[in-house]
Amino acid sequence: MRKIYSNKRVILTLILPGLLTFLLAILAPICLSIYYSFTDFSGMGEAVFNGLDNYKAMFQDTGFWVSLRNSLLLAIGFICIQHPLALITAAILDKMQNKAEGFFRCVYFIPNVISVAVIAYLWKFIYNPNFGLLNNILKLFGFEGNVNWLGSGSAIWSVLVVLIWHGFGWGMLIYYTGIKNIDPVLYEAAAIDGATGKEAFMKITLPLMKPVIQVNVTMAVISALKQMETVYLLTNGGPGDQTQFMANYLYKQAFNSFKYGYGNTISVAFIVICLLATVLLNRIFKEKDA
Amino acid sequence: MNQVEQKFTWKRALLYACLLLVAVVQIFPLIWLVDFSLGSSNEMFTNGLLIIPEKIRWDNYVTAFVDGHFLHYLKNSILVNVTAVVFVIAISILAAFAVTRMKWKLQGFVKTLLLMGMMIPIHATLLPNYVIYDKLGLTDSFWALLIPYVAFSLPQGLFLTCSFMDSIPKELEEAAIMDGCSIYRIIGTVITPLMKSSMATVAIMTFLNNWNEFMMASTYLSSNKWKTLPFSILEFTGQYSSNYAVQFAVMALTAMPAVVVYVLLNKYITKGVAMGAVKG
Repeated sequence: MRKIYSNKRVILTLILPGLLTFLLAILAPICLSIYYSFTDFSGMGEAVFNGLDNYKAMFQDTGFWVSLRNSLLLAIGFICIQHPLALITAAILDKMQNKAEGFFRCVYFIPNVISVAVIAYLWKFIYNPNFGLLNNILKLFGFEGNVNWLGSGSAIWSVLVVLIWHGFGWGMLIYYTGIKNIDPVLYEAAAIDGATGKEAFMKITLPLMKPVIQVNVTMAVISALKQMETVYLLTNGGPGDQTQFMANYLYKQAFNSFKYGYGNTISVAFIVICLLATVLLNRIFKEKDA
Repeated sequence: MNQVEQKFTWKRALLYACLLLVAVVQIFPLIWLVDFSLGSSNEMFTNGLLIIPEKIRWDNYVTAFVDGHFLHYLKNSILVNVTAVVFVIAISILAAFAVTRMKWKLQGFVKTLLLMGMMIPIHATLLPNYVIYDKLGLTDSFWALLIPYVAFSLPQGLFLTCSFMDSIPKELEEAAIMDGCSIYRIIGTVITPLMKSSMATVAIMTFLNNWNEFMMASTYLSSNKWKTLPFSILEFTGQYSSNYAVQFAVMALTAMPAVVVYVLLNKYITKGVAMGAVKG
């Protein structure tokens, strides 16, 4: 029996498709990216090594730092706005126990299945200064309603709102599943002891949800770092680089500014930052548990 | 317990109000989208939130459907996504069997390596992949979409498949081995039939990852031949830049397939996402 399980040829045929996919489609491009990150390749012509020049330039590039700052702002927005709301909504939803529960759960998740292309263009219209929904809502409350939401200064906040709005359903659903896994007997016992809904939430839901919250927060930070598509279609980083995010910035450098080598430098930094963030968050949460 | 809860109380009404408010925030932009898509462009310049179109303009949707090449893009989206799902499921099952059941020295290392893919930001490979596909003559082909879609859904698929496979008792396959079954036959006839719920979860996660993907399609494809549904909008906004109502119609139309499928399969998708998230 052991012999059959350790047949080298069988193992090779089983693992090869997966391994090749990983090596060719993920590892090879990363290696190539590292190579180009040390060159001044423009996309055409020849790639000439320029040592650490690109990396030095990156550390002095305000565009890069703005991108990183925006990612952090988004991560803070996720953690401080989206997730508390998602968790509370999930807790309320859990208490409904009837048809409404399924209905609301479904409605909350719908923005998540809609293409970012639709989301980005839809919000462009919502923010439109002439006939946009948001200005019309302001007018309804007696304001002038002529704000240029995607203009200088306010653009980054407008972008954050879209991203927080779009990802809400996903976070909510994961918290909701976590809460569903809590033994209802605990709540019944708390109710018998005379605990209010708020007390039950603070003393039962929150502590038991800790692992779910940790996973969800980690994923939120990573997704904030990875953000690209919505921003690309909504503002493409503009005005200036005010709403720039890392992925979008490296893309812009390579394909619009024809600094392909430099774009790859940011790519490499991008990967390193994502890996570091994952490791760091895991470590923080592990230490807290210990 | 249930009877008590169904009774009307002010507190319960307040909770409902909260849920409703969140629902309105989440869904109102989409209602606005559909509403305006049924009017004419002139009607948009209103101070109200919604409009009651003088005449319901279904022809906006006809224009969107025909000039947005809706069917062509939809066909491409379905084709590339279904193929990607099939590949991800098949490769995941094979690889999962190799790293969870087979006995070899590097199995732990290879598993970790493959799962590392989950941490790699997908957009960091845009630039190098563009050069690679260009050199291989793969740009503007079906493969330029399929390869990255499979590659970046595989780590998650493998992760889910491994944890499901761990929960299948070994006795079944051991009996089959006694009967002289080969490993390939065991995977095909013993393991795979037991993995249905796992395969469904992997399929749902892969679909959710790739269905709305836009950046890679936009980078690796140049002609319309293989472009997917999101491009219906992009192409259209250029063409009908001043006819807003028709643009709204094309957006609503493009969003429709995913929303309809989601509402119909809502229970399964919720379960799938939940399973994927808990295990992930």
